[in-house]
Amino acid sequence: MPLSAAELSRYHRHLSLPELGRDGQERLKNARVVVIGAGGLGSPAALYLAAAGVGTLGLVDFDRVELSNLQRQVLFDTAAIGRAKAEAARERLLALNPEISVVAHTLTLDAGNVLDVLRGYDVVLDGTDRLTTRYLVNDACVLLGKPLVSAAIHRFEGHAMTYLPGRGPCYRCLFPEAEEGVVASCAEAGVLGVLPGVLGTIQATEAIKIITGIGEPLVGRLATYDALELRFAEFPFTRRADCAVCGEHPTITAPLRTVASCDTADLSSVHRLTPSALRDRLASDGSRAALVLIDVRDPQEFDTCHLEGARNIPVAELARRVGELPDGCTPVFLCRSGRRSLTACALAIRAGIGAPAHLEGGLLAWAAEVDPTFEVAGG
Amino acid sequence: MSCTVRIPSPLRSYTAGAATIAADGGTVEEVLASLERRFSGIRFRMIDEQSRIRPHIRLYINTGEVTALSQPVVAGDIVHVICALSGG
Repeated sequence: MPLSAAELSRYHRHLSLPELGRDGQERLKNARVVVIGAGGLGSPAALYLAAAGVGTLGLVDFDRVELSNLQRQVLFDTAAIGRAKAEAARERLLALNPEISVVAHTLTLDAGNVLDVLRGYDVVLDGTDRLTTRYLVNDACVLLGKPLVSAAIHRFEGHAMTYLPGRGPCYRCLFPEAEEGVVASCAEAGVLGVLPGVLGTIQATEAIKIITGIGEPLVGRLATYDALELRFAEFPFTRRADCAVCGEHPTITAPLRTVASCDTADLSSVHRLTPSALRDRLASDGSRAALVLIDVRDPQEFDTCHLEGARNIPVAELARRVGELPDGCTPVFLCRSGRRSLTACALAIRAGIGAPAHLEGGLLAWAAEVDPTFEVAGG
Repeated sequence: MSCTVRIPSPLRSYTAGAATIAADGGTVEEVLASLERRFSGIRFRMIDEQSRIRPHIRLYINTGEVTALSQPVVAGDIVHVICALSGG
């Protein structure tokens, strides 16, 4: 579809680039890009792609806007708090560029819907904050033959890579697997607000390059960025012949229903203690003696503040140190928000501990409901 | 033999926040052992019980991927530890 007079004016700075020109801008107009996660990464990526004139943008996010999102998720303003992210983002992007179409997918991507959602797009940008979804999206892109631009962040560090079908390795070639909880999330570890701005714009850049066919894509290279040292680096990686999804003999031939360590079957026997329930049990001598508090945060977080009597076994070390849990006691796993402690429960169950417990909402909830003087590291 | 190890963000809780650590060793295994002596528990975050590099970790000597812990490290090398990140 040719560019209108308004579009010729809007995209004048693109049209002035001989590498892009009118042909490139028309390719952008005819392109369909889906952004997985309207969060820290998805915000700048979607804003720049909308501004650049990508004709159809899809946004996938099941979540609602929270106050704590606004430190980095620049798609949203304070008035959007409580709204569905995909819908609020759609309005913001159309206000920026009414020439494009924006599709809001307010849903949780899973094995049952991922192929249907991604099938309608030309390029996929992954900015999710869940490893399970990261692998789900990678596998779907390989199965569908879709280009994927993946990025991830943690505290002051970010990664980006591009997968092009038939031209290079996929995310599983880079990291064959990673269990949720072993790699701390931003909610638990924190993140510099401007960091996803850098990585999200790299994703948008890659998408534009793929669509217009210019430049050299970030294929077979992992780009890393350290904000504290303002240091970019890149590390080559190649396709694995034994990759489970893009290798010579793939074992993943359809989206996996469960790729996380803490699946629902694993967690059905977990006692989920509210902060007040845990407080009551600790206050009762009889109940207290039957519990052992295991704080699965990193040592640095533990040292800042911890519950009296708690022992520190970081979740990444739990599989190796599960023998340290005393017999005859129920382990109560604790972490900052309740995510790592759930992973610890799954690991404990796998190790033969029948009914572990964890603190729902983590120590953040404890501080909010039971002890306001409790200082939770990394907030 | 002294080299530099770059620590990824998720493992800096072991190094008091330090991004780079000077370490000794003529092989990757020896360098990791040197790290472990100073920062107890950090090796297990990278290497499993069968002495394999964990699937969410990649090691590089300068820009060359480490495929065996016996690979030599020479003075001045930078050993990069890359860890999968989950945040978005």
